[in-house]
Amino acid sequence: MPTIDCDSRVHETRVTDRSELAPGVILLGLNAPELARATRAGQYVMAIPPTGEAAATALGIYEAQGERASLLFFLTGKRTRELGELRPGDMLALTGPLGNGFDLSSKPRHAVIVAGGVGIASVLLAAQRLVADGTRVELLYGARNEALLVDAQRFAEAGCELALATDDGSAGHHGLITALLERRSEMPDLILACGPSPMLRAVGRIAADRGVRAQLSLEETFACGVGGCWGCVVPLARTSAQAPGFPLESQGGSDVVYARICKEGPVFFSDELKW
Amino acid sequence: MITAQPSLEVKLGKLQLAYPTLMGSGCYGSGDEFAPFADLTKIGAVVLKSVTRRPRLGNPTPRLVHTPAGLLNAIGLQNPGIDWYVEREVPKYADRPCPLIGSVAGFSIDDYAYVCEQLAKCAPIAAIELNISCPNVGSEGETFACDPDLTARVVRAARATTDKTLIVKLSPNVTDIASIAREAEAAGADALAVINTVRGMSVDVETWRPRLGNVTGGLSGPAIRPIAVLAVYEVARAVSIPIVGQGGIETATDALEFFLAGATAVSIGTANFTDPRIPERIVAELQAYLGRRGLAAIGDIVGKANVGIVGAYQHGGDEG
Repeated sequence: MPTIDCDSRVHETRVTDRSELAPGVILLGLNAPELARATRAGQYVMAIPPTGEAAATALGIYEAQGERASLLFFLTGKRTRELGELRPGDMLALTGPLGNGFDLSSKPRHAVIVAGGVGIASVLLAAQRLVADGTRVELLYGARNEALLVDAQRFAEAGCELALATDDGSAGHHGLITALLERRSEMPDLILACGPSPMLRAVGRIAADRGVRAQLSLEETFACGVGGCWGCVVPLARTSAQAPGFPLESQGGSDVVYARICKEGPVFFSDELKW
Repeated sequence: MITAQPSLEVKLGKLQLAYPTLMGSGCYGSGDEFAPFADLTKIGAVVLKSVTRRPRLGNPTPRLVHTPAGLLNAIGLQNPGIDWYVEREVPKYADRPCPLIGSVAGFSIDDYAYVCEQLAKCAPIAAIELNISCPNVGSEGETFACDPDLTARVVRAARATTDKTLIVKLSPNVTDIASIAREAEAAGADALAVINTVRGMSVDVETWRPRLGNVTGGLSGPAIRPIAVLAVYEVARAVSIPIVGQGGIETATDALEFFLAGATAVSIGTANFTDPRIPERIVAELQAYLGRRGLAAIGDIVGKANVGIVGAYQHGGDEG
């Protein structure tokens, strides 16, 4: 992805609204005008835990419009539960926006976005932007069950065509969302995906089989979130434009280099990932 | 009446620092990564990520696991090697608003001497930290800091290559850290960094696999703070050179524990991953603490927990 040169900083934001979209899935609205203005589709923030008792949490920026930005996250551990405790009026400090988002510059006629589970949190801005640019956008959205297909209506309202899948068959296709990508007769001009690693690998494999490349937004445990610690890496072809500059001999004969998901990513081209 | 601000200035060998707060190696990039989020003029120095003689790909993934009150990591010294580093990376560091301390890692005494010499020649590098205690590169990385004789030899070799301040980073994964510290001091170290991470491991009970790609890792964060405070205390009794205390410092109170135990400066690592504003906050609160107590300088409290102590250490008269 092209490097985004954006105005990143620490933002002191105020929670404006909070809703539980499904059991354990929180949408947190924030008054964050500067963050909303600076954010590009596919970027994320590091949310600083209010009690300071845990590491910051990387969260995709769900919405960014006017004075409001929002975060959509699942309550999966101590850190997200702490954020889930926040109520309107509470303060939340964030660093961001961070990372290189999706490359939407090709002005595609037809785009498919594949989202799995909490991956939905990182694709709304891309969907909105593509629709605004006149692109036909299909969202393939998979989750464990119907209740966890959160906010699908929002994408329909934004002008996306929806296809759903659930692991238990409670809504849409009974099985993996990637099956809906695989069975297509034609591939779109642009494929974006965000979700669990097995889903992203499958999207990458399907894209490769059909001779196209996908943009995959990766998730990994972060420590610093800003490129300082080299903890959140993924093996990347050293020929990739996103590969950090390293001398050839560091590869020990292989053509792979570890790139930072937080800095060089989180979005990578599927054909450059060597995972 | 205007009272002068208490001084936080400290000296490590020849290195004069405006603030006694270093940013730990491998935790702060080269400073630039944190510049949008932290005021680099309000920190003492950045210790750069360790560099080795040959380029290193680093460890397989995953490299990080969050644990209770801690962070387990096994990065594996990913770096482009000293030649590339000196030629292409260090020149970018020329205009940093705070001093930079280069970090040297290696697998032989020759490695350390060579890398130290090349790095110390670079103008933007104000001092050198010898990382003889990396726990994440098989047994080799930590071997030096676990053996008094090897510690002495590697420090002597590095010392011969530069007059810049030489800080030696010690491992907590030893039986008697004081004996290692004495060897490092005798071999010419200007200061000691105490401690590196504590070895640890975590297992995924679903997959039955270790949760780190490297299997074992180094634990940092508040979980190790009491271990680090004790190590500083023990080292302070054994040597007379300055100590950079580190291990789970998140607040000024945490930092004060280290100063009182005998540290001249402190290093902040994992806390930067919680909130990049922490180092600046610590500096402000240290100043307020000294002011409240009418103390003129941070140096006034260094090692005070070591004075007139009653307990097991009182009987160890041969150490003092």
